[in-house]
Amino acid sequence: MTAVAQAPAPAPSTDGKDRRNKARPRTVAEWVMLTLAVLGALAIVFPMLLLLLNAFKSPQDYANSGPLELPQALSFEGIRTFWETQNFPRALWNSIFISTMVSIIAVVVSVLNSFAIGIGRVRGRTWIVLVFLMANLVPQEMLFDPLFQLYDDMGLLSNPWSVILTFVVIQSAFGTYLLSSLLGTFPKEILEAASVDGATRWRTLRSVIVPIVRPTLSVLMVFFFIWTWNEFLLPLAFLNTSDSLTVPLLLEQLNGERQTDTTTLIAGTLISIIPTIIFFLIFQRTLTRGITAGAVK
Amino acid sequence: MKYRITAATAVLAAGALSLTACSSGDGGEGGASGAPADGDYTGETLTVMHYEGEESAMGKAWNLAIEMFEEETGATVDLQTTAFEDLNASAQQLFDSSDAPDVSEYNKGNGTAGQLAATGVILPLDDAYETYGWADKLSAGIDTIAKYDENGVMGSGSWYGVPNYGEFVFLYFNQDMFDEYGIEVPTDEASLETAMQAFVDEGVTPLTTSAQEYPMGQLWYQLALSQADRSWVDAYQLYTEAVDWAGPEVSYASGTLEDWVNAGYISKDASGMTAEDAGLAFINGDAPMFYSGSWWYGRMLEDVTDFEFGITNWPDTTLTPGSGGNIWVVPVESKQPELAEIFIDITMRPEVQALLGESGGLPVAADTADITDPDAQKLIELFNEVNDRDGLSFYPDWPTPTFYGDLNSVMQGIVNGDVTADEANTQLMDYYESYVADLR
Repeated sequence: MTAVAQAPAPAPSTDGKDRRNKARPRTVAEWVMLTLAVLGALAIVFPMLLLLLNAFKSPQDYANSGPLELPQALSFEGIRTFWETQNFPRALWNSIFISTMVSIIAVVVSVLNSFAIGIGRVRGRTWIVLVFLMANLVPQEMLFDPLFQLYDDMGLLSNPWSVILTFVVIQSAFGTYLLSSLLGTFPKEILEAASVDGATRWRTLRSVIVPIVRPTLSVLMVFFFIWTWNEFLLPLAFLNTSDSLTVPLLLEQLNGERQTDTTTLIAGTLISIIPTIIFFLIFQRTLTRGITAGAVK
Repeated sequence: MKYRITAATAVLAAGALSLTACSSGDGGEGGASGAPADGDYTGETLTVMHYEGEESAMGKAWNLAIEMFEEETGATVDLQTTAFEDLNASAQQLFDSSDAPDVSEYNKGNGTAGQLAATGVILPLDDAYETYGWADKLSAGIDTIAKYDENGVMGSGSWYGVPNYGEFVFLYFNQDMFDEYGIEVPTDEASLETAMQAFVDEGVTPLTTSAQEYPMGQLWYQLALSQADRSWVDAYQLYTEAVDWAGPEVSYASGTLEDWVNAGYISKDASGMTAEDAGLAFINGDAPMFYSGSWWYGRMLEDVTDFEFGITNWPDTTLTPGSGGNIWVVPVESKQPELAEIFIDITMRPEVQALLGESGGLPVAADTADITDPDAQKLIELFNEVNDRDGLSFYPDWPTPTFYGDLNSVMQGIVNGDVTADEANTQLMDYYESYVADLR
């Protein structure tokens, strides 16, 4: 914090020239950035630290100590209760299945939609994109009842496909919006070259456009996966049997009407973020590329 | 041979199915024909849904009920446990869909079970009440939440649910802290304020509560009740007549809370505390008194390790917040309404009720002599005292579907000093009347 006070107005442009000089001491601005980065990292790690500290406390220990104190004795009671009372592997599988299907299907649908809107340049495309975007803008509370009736009639309640269908539509609406503007600026020369070479539309899409925008597509896929993974309200409505729950819904089961078994909830949360961390480690490069999604070289 | 058995089972199952279909058809309309004739339901499945923890008093008792049910009827139970908030959000749709459970626990009160009853999402149980004689087992005050009229207002009309347990709100106190400072446990209202002042003089905040969740709202209601009679409760809860929002009951409640906050009896931190935080302050031994419900009792017995705690009813009051507990309801799409009724009846049996009491719950139909655990006895004694003076007065947030949040926000205003007691009463009146005015 002291470093922040020392340098109220860092000017990054002045020290940009001698960046290559590794031997020189760090400038004030760099110290500020470093401190800020460390503080930011601490802020992000802090909740996980809380989880780690409290997941291994017994309920009595938790009730009689502050959340920042070390456990008196290592207790696996919370973790055991969570594992024994909740079918976590099943919920994990449900979440993975639903999120994977949504991310794949939604990306395919987005590509097909945006090919028509961005490359095909259909009439009234701005309005079409706007209509698509409505799917994202409509509050999910409004979809709750009509979709519930629909899936009830179709016999899809407590079936993962009810959630998959819903979120393919919602996610691909955003995907269509993003990809349409991206493909709208797609270099004409490449398309013309493809058609001179005798490529059909389908061939152009498959062999020319998709390979070029592939980085963006993989970013979209990862985002769709994460967004669907974290969805709560609509899955809550459609998935009612214990076997069909997703991970966020399973954690919600641990909240009581007036009482919550906090240590079990914390232990459950700790277990349920493990897959998310693994997922992040696998896809972290794709995620960082997400910052530049939408730009073509 | 194997095929023949399968075929025979299939025929049996089909027969049983059609039987159920017939009897459930008239079971809802007329007479006592819903009663089990043969009692053999082998091959049938009853889907039971509830949201109580496995280790809670209700969870334990209902597991016993499921065991007995399976043994007696031959049917199997498919138990679906859910969360209170989940079912609260989805019951309106769920109970009217193909995913509906055959019998479910549901939250009592006008805004919840009442609404489901009024919209026809749960079945009336008048015939079952007649067949099984449940009404005789439920005392007055408990049974109010089992009946709803055509507008979904509790207290009259058809039977829609069966409560298995009761609950009420009282004072938990830390005996060691009272002893340490030489303060007497309050027995009347004057001594309550003296005791709180004595704690403040010692630098201890005497009363832990939460304005973000239910505890402070219930304290407010208790203070109003201490000045009220039954007709005020009927006006407030059952809309029998207009509530006087400038009357002595409400003025006393809001005024006293304002005084207590100013005197330091209630911490300013209460506005940001959850019920869990408030309870933890008591369990930690930070605060000597906590006003909350019987649902904390089992937790206190388990988690309070460093001191002796005691329980007592709020001093100087005939009326106490409390009611029957959540109720068993039969959704309109239940595939086994007849089995559902048998199951509900088993939950009212003395064995199940006694286990509920032994485990720290408040049974509605138990023989008190069956309960031997001294801690359980202490709680039931306190509850009986309330019932003897016909004291159960429900909860402050029941009159409107949004009053829970409304009341909490006003309580936060009082704690923060943003509103005076009079302003608080006006705000509460506006919230209350905007919904209730049309129902009167």
